[in-house]
Amino acid sequence: MRVQTANDLPPNILSNLRNHPAGRTSRTKNRIFYDTSNFTAIDYGDIIFVDDRYFLVVAYTKEGRFGIDEQPKPWVPKVLDLESGERFIIKLVFHEQYELSMGGLKVICYRNPEKEARVLELVQDHPHSMHGYSVEDEAGNIVRILDIISGKRLDKYVYSKSEDHQEYFENDFPGILGSYLKSVETISLFHQHGFKHGDIRRDHILVDYDNGLFRWIDFDYDFFLPERPFALDLFGLGNILLFLSGRQTFRTRDVLHFPGMGEKTLATITEKDLSLLSQDRIYNLQKLFPYIPDALNNILLHFTVGAPLFYDSVDEFYNDLAAYHQSC
Amino acid sequence: MKSWDKILIAVDKTTTAMHAVKYVGTIIRSLKPPKITLLYVYPEPPPNFYQAGGLLPDYENEKRAFAEGIFSESRTVLTECSIDSENIDTVTRMASGETISQTILDIQQEGGYGTVVVGKRGVSRAEEFLFGSISNALVHSSGEFTVWVVG
Repeated sequence: MRVQTANDLPPNILSNLRNHPAGRTSRTKNRIFYDTSNFTAIDYGDIIFVDDRYFLVVAYTKEGRFGIDEQPKPWVPKVLDLESGERFIIKLVFHEQYELSMGGLKVICYRNPEKEARVLELVQDHPHSMHGYSVEDEAGNIVRILDIISGKRLDKYVYSKSEDHQEYFENDFPGILGSYLKSVETISLFHQHGFKHGDIRRDHILVDYDNGLFRWIDFDYDFFLPERPFALDLFGLGNILLFLSGRQTFRTRDVLHFPGMGEKTLATITEKDLSLLSQDRIYNLQKLFPYIPDALNNILLHFTVGAPLFYDSVDEFYNDLAAYHQSC
Repeated sequence: MKSWDKILIAVDKTTTAMHAVKYVGTIIRSLKPPKITLLYVYPEPPPNFYQAGGLLPDYENEKRAFAEGIFSESRTVLTECSIDSENIDTVTRMASGETISQTILDIQQEGGYGTVVVGKRGVSRAEEFLFGSISNALVHSSGEFTVWVVG
């Protein structure tokens, strides 16, 4: 029989609910949601019932974007399974759509829960991906129940390397690149199965605290590029390589303020050294760090305005990068 | 078996596509009656199409109607070049699970077309990276047939 109020929950579930701060605060009535269509109505302390499981909402995930500080994502609550006591992240259906502008070109981006659900099936045992599964709620919404990865965002992981760039590049970068190659290989697997990652960014890789593996998260974005379906994924992979190689992404102002660079270095940068799609990013890192070898710099140059050739597939990118890594 | 005088013209609603049609008509009118196929390939619906309640048959009908307009204009151009309309046929197809250029290549192979003709869009490098270039893709894959790219 369908439970209508928290007090009617099975005794063990009710007991676990009352043992959690979100289950005994007077702020909330611990409403039970069977239909998650209106996710904005679901609040801290409410319960989402899917897959015969009661999930207590205990917090919300946050994400920053386009230079805006981290914002809570009400469609992605952190939850507690009231039976097992395990914590998960739940993603509810949010059909957001927006126009992405890249170098003056417009691309329509969508949230595609169906795609994310199918990717989760593909990577259910994959060591370089988040894990989880999807079920439908009472209204047919695809709810994704995700395991929480105990790990550090890749960008913060890289920032934590405190030595100067040359030491970082010589000591840390080869290992980081080896791990990143596994990430690139994983995206190639997505593409082989016709899936885009959809939102490849450096903060969408988590470095697992347990084993140090790089693991992709967040697969629900999709975009419409019929002739080059994987171009934005490829572009994202290039941006991450740029970040990992430079230990940051360099824009004009960064060159001016970076120790040992300044106006003299900036004067050497031409339009051809800039990113093909984000023309404020300097991809010709050799001009900033002359010890960066040609083999790596040439890979980066594939993403520049001046590139005579660019990569058509992630496999081409991977092959060049793997060859460089072997030579490290 | 491919035949060089069996010509596939991929068309869309661009000026250069119509230049391509006119070019073919002008070049081949003095030859023996050629076989021309006008081809319109359209992409699958965007990711949010079904979420928004769209139905595939409606989408396909809309695209086929759009293609008919292009075909009609193309036939007029070819007829003005003295190409007998009996030698012109049309194909409309959705690029299902593949790119538009791959669909053109599939049809080229299925139909044994020795010559494929497209208009040139003249895209920037950034546009080519993001949106692709059908003419470049065809040229790269044209080991056993001829590609005419008309500007």
